[in-house]
Amino acid sequence: MRLVVPHPGHFAALKEIIEVKEAEGLNEVVEVYMAGSPEVMGSGRATLHSARIADIKEQTAYAHQHDIKMNIVVNPSCLGGYHLTFEGYKLFKRYFEELNKADVDGVTVAEPYFIELLRDFSMETVVSCIAHVDSPQRAEFFEDLGADTIAVDTNINRNFAILEAITKAVNCDIKVLVNEGCLYKCPFRHAHFNLFSHITSSRSSLMKAQSPNIFSDYYFDKCISMRVRDPSQIIRSPWIRPEDMQEYEAIGINNFKISGRANAVNWIINCMVAYARRSFKGNLLELIDCPSELRYTFHLDNELLEGCIKQWKTCKKICDECRYCDELTTKVLRVNEK
Amino acid sequence: MKEEIIEGRRRLEEELRKLVGNIFVPEAKVFGMACGCVGLAADLRGLQSDAVEVFTEKINAILEEISESVGVKPEIIYARKLPGSEEVVVLTTRDLCERCRNEFAGSKAPPRPDIMMLKKKRWR
Repeated sequence: MRLVVPHPGHFAALKEIIEVKEAEGLNEVVEVYMAGSPEVMGSGRATLHSARIADIKEQTAYAHQHDIKMNIVVNPSCLGGYHLTFEGYKLFKRYFEELNKADVDGVTVAEPYFIELLRDFSMETVVSCIAHVDSPQRAEFFEDLGADTIAVDTNINRNFAILEAITKAVNCDIKVLVNEGCLYKCPFRHAHFNLFSHITSSRSSLMKAQSPNIFSDYYFDKCISMRVRDPSQIIRSPWIRPEDMQEYEAIGINNFKISGRANAVNWIINCMVAYARRSFKGNLLELIDCPSELRYTFHLDNELLEGCIKQWKTCKKICDECRYCDELTTKVLRVNEK
Repeated sequence: MKEEIIEGRRRLEEELRKLVGNIFVPEAKVFGMACGCVGLAADLRGLQSDAVEVFTEKINAILEEISESVGVKPEIIYARKLPGSEEVVVLTTRDLCERCRNEFAGSKAPPRPDIMMLKKKRWR
């Protein structure tokens, strides 16, 4: 198993993550990832740190001293077409050159054009889950473009037939996100990633004009409300329990990524320890990268979920007929009482 | 409580203006979270992180006083910056629940890159 861990971006956090990894002997942790510079381009998720190249270089050197790889995530789902202007081409190409010079090990992108641009560099090209690779056919397209690793669409996390077909269709590495707490087949997914992409690029000289002054994050608020009204949506989310990672290894998937780079350092460390040890006791929502309100509201007993993966592995995903997750919800999920 | 929070907002703005210059505190509020944390949060306009670093002790003293006047005994005091910038947008005092004591205030590093920890009570 190779475990990839989120890094919020500030150097002190990296040191603390590595300190715990070494103290606990978590040899499975091989890589950290952090957001790139919002001055250059945005990102598909919240970005709380503005990492300059010198900062990335220094942190990469520190990670290397501790045998940890550094991956920089620059995965906006929308660039407003700027990447296809000469100005954009020059800026993004130069940025990749600078990351390469900073000795970064890999870059995670969602935009297909960037995968081609990255062919000129020795850095590992990782396709973000935001590219929504959900079939062997799409995986082949991305591999042909130059992908070294593909983080598959989380919507297929529990579709083992498709996962296995993807591993057979391509030679590149396949990675799954273990703890993304998004709604299964979320209707807001593309729109929300696009929104984040524009918000987080508000400091980019190229995309400044597109930075919106929004009244609220409609998708975020709506997503929480939907799950409060229908808690079975929490069970249907495609998270993977630490104990169930072996099922993925059995079909040839050995790369696991923990999501949540906008969370607190100690939350990240807690997730890292649980997934590295493949074991967790308590409220599974403590490990899931979801709005904290859900953790405060619900308790999802991880031990009661033992064996559910057998159903999900073969599930046809026709919830209206199946109702397995609805029934499971009544047994494993309860509202926290205070 | 109503008088105290109104007076607290006014005082914070006045003191920050004395220390730093033209600062605006558009809103101050007492909050209670689902996790169990309670606190005082003051929204800010015009304050930057370098000024907070220079005047940390004075800012802490003012915030502690205002916070206690509305019934919140702060375990931590922190400033939140706009992600990736030096613009400070909120000053917060917080009496922590057990979970956040570990998750939010339990690391040696600031919990997130947009948070400047100004004061942290020693628990051990």
